Amino acid sequence: MAGDGAAVRLRDVVKVFGKKVRALRGVSFEVPRGAIYGILGPNGAGKTTTLRIIATLVRHDSGYVEVLGHRLPDERNLVRGRISYLPEDAGLYHRLTGWENLLYFAMIYSDTLEEARRMAELGVKLSGLSERDIHRKASEYSKGMARRVALARALMVGAELVLLDEPTSGLDVFSAYSIRKIIKNFAKSSGATVLMSSHNMLEVEELCDRVILINKGSIVAEGEPAELKERAGAANLEEAFIKLVGGVS
Amino acid sequence: MARDIKTIAAIAILPLIMMPFMGLTSIYVQTLQQGVAVVINEDPGKIVIGDHVFTTQQLVNEIENALKSKGFIVTTHNVSRFDIKVIIPKGFRANISSFTRLALIRIIKAVGSTKANAGESAVASVLGSFAHEVAVAKVDYLGRLARVKVSPSSVLDPIIYTTTLVGPSGAAVSVVESFRVMLGRILAFSLIFVTTPSIAYITDSVVGEKERKTFEALLATPVPRWSIVIGKALSASLIGLATGLADAIGLLLFFAIPSMTYGINLLKLLTPTLLAAHVSAVYLSVLASLALILPIVIRSGSYRVAQAFSLAIIGVASIVFFIALYANIGALTPSLRYLLYVIPYSHAVCMIKQAVLGEVWNTILHSLILVGEIAVLLAIAVKLFSEEKIIYSKT
Repeated sequence: MAGDGAAVRLRDVVKVFGKKVRALRGVSFEVPRGAIYGILGPNGAGKTTTLRIIATLVRHDSGYVEVLGHRLPDERNLVRGRISYLPEDAGLYHRLTGWENLLYFAMIYSDTLEEARRMAELGVKLSGLSERDIHRKASEYSKGMARRVALARALMVGAELVLLDEPTSGLDVFSAYSIRKIIKNFAKSSGATVLMSSHNMLEVEELCDRVILINKGSIVAEGEPAELKERAGAANLEEAFIKLVGGVS
Repeated sequence: MARDIKTIAAIAILPLIMMPFMGLTSIYVQTLQQGVAVVINEDPGKIVIGDHVFTTQQLVNEIENALKSKGFIVTTHNVSRFDIKVIIPKGFRANISSFTRLALIRIIKAVGSTKANAGESAVASVLGSFAHEVAVAKVDYLGRLARVKVSPSSVLDPIIYTTTLVGPSGAAVSVVESFRVMLGRILAFSLIFVTTPSIAYITDSVVGEKERKTFEALLATPVPRWSIVIGKALSASLIGLATGLADAIGLLLFFAIPSMTYGINLLKLLTPTLLAAHVSAVYLSVLASLALILPIVIRSGSYRVAQAFSLAIIGVASIVFFIALYANIGALTPSLRYLLYVIPYSHAVCMIKQAVLGEVWNTILHSLILVGEIAVLLAIAVKLFSEEKIIYSKT
C-alpha cells in the first residue's frame, strides 16, 4: 500500500452518530500524495467528520480508510506521528506565550529539546508573528494572531499529511489572506499533502488542486475547480457549488 | 499549575489560618459563656449519723463552689431564666440519714443550654463525694452498733481494679500512646478533605481543556493516551497533595491548640513514621480520588456527569473516614472488612492507624494494596479513553 501514490484512501465509509444521525453515507475518494485537496459542503455535510476520521479521532462504522499506507483504526498510532491536524476551533493554551505553545507541540514531535526548539522556530517563521508578539501570552492575541499560531503549530511538525478544518473560518479579510498565504507557501515548499475543508470559494479556487463537494454525508462531485464550473455550467465556483449541491437536496 | 497558583494558594492557606482559629475560638467562646445556676435548699439543718454531723448548707456550699468554678453565676433565689436548678427538697435530711430510704436531689436543666450539661456534671461530682462521706459515716455507725471492726472502704468499694495499656507486641505502654491513637484518628479523618479538590482539578483538567479547545489538536498528536491520562492525574495529584497537607495541618492545629490548654501537646506525638505514613496516605488518597473519577470524566467529557459521580465518591469516602474516627476497620466483621478494603480510602486509613501503632510492615502492606488499586483504576481509565466521546460530549 505504501508508495502507491495515495496519501488518503476512503472507500464506502459510513459513520452514524447515535442511532439516527448518518454523518457519512458511503464516502469514497482518494487524495494523491503531494496534492492540495479541498472538501466543500454546507454545514452538517460531513466535512469535519471526514477529517476527524482521517485524523484518527473518530472511528468509522464501516468501509475502508487508509492513511499514508496505514489502515485505520488498527494502525492509528502509526498514522498520528505522520499527520497533523488543525481543528476548526483550535485553541491555544492561554497562559502560555505563542512561543511556549509552539514549543510544547514541537516537543511532542521531537526527540531532543534542541530539535524541538528548531521546530518551534520554524513555527514562529510560519506564523509570521513578530519577535515581540510571539512572546506575549496567548490570551492577549487577536483571533487572527491565535489562528496563525495554531496553523503554524500544525505545519511546523513536518507532517506528510496536513488536515485543516476551515482554517480561515471567522477571520477578517486580512487575517484570512495571511493564512492562505502561509498555506500556499508551505504546500509549495514542503511537498506535503494538504486536505482542507472550507466554505470560502475564493480560498478553494486559489489553493486547491482538486475539490470534493459533499452534501448530507455523500459526495456530490469531485474535480478540479475549472472542471466543476464547466460541469455545472457556472461562471464561478460558488454558482457551481450551489447548482451541484442543490441538485441533490 | 501556573494557571491555578492563586486558587491553590487560597485553598492551601485558608485551612492553615481558619482551622487553628476555629479551635481557639471554640475554647475561648465557651469560657466567655456565663451560665446561671439556682440552688434551692428546702430542708436546711443538720444531718446526724452516729457521731458524724453534716448540714445541708455544707452541701449547698460545695455545689455552689463547683458551679462557680465552671463559670456559673449562682443564686439561691428562684429566677425565671436559668441554665440549671438544683433543689434539695423537704425531707432530704430525714431520707439521707435513714438506713432504709434514698434521698432525692432534683436537678432541672434548661433545654438548649450549652452550659447545663457541664453544670450537671459538676453537681453530680459533688453529690457523689457527699454521698460517699454519708455512706462512710453510716458504715462506721453500724459497725459500732454491731461492735464489729469495719473498714468503710471494704464495704463501699469492695473491688478495686487496675488498667494497663499494652501495644501490639504485648509490652506495656504509657497513657501517651492512647493520645497518639487519638491523633491517628484525627489524621485519618483529615483525609476527608483531600477528595473534593482533587476531583475538581482533574475534571477541569479534562473537561476544561476541551472547553478551551486545546484538547482536539492534542489528541491528534502521537502522544500516547496513557501519557495523557497519567500526566493529568499526576499534575492534579501534586496540587491535591499541597491542599490536602494544608488541610491536615489546619485540622491538627484545630485540635492541638485547645488540647494545649489541658496540658497535652498533640504535636509532640508525631513520629517520623507517622508523618511519613500520613503524607503518603494523603498523596495516595488524592491519587485514588483522581483514579476513581477519571474513567467517568474521560468517558463523559461532561462537568455535570463528573459532578454527579464526584458526589457519590465523596459520599463513599466520607463514610470510610467517619468509620475511621470511631472504629478500627481491621476489627470489623470479615464481610464488612473485606467490603471496605475494596474501597481505596480504607487502606489509606489503615496506613495511618498501623503507623500509629508502630506496625511498619502493615503500613507498607496497605500502601502497596492501595497503589495496586490505583493502578487498576488508572488502567481502566486508559482503556476507556475515547477521543470521540471526549470531542462529541456536551460539557
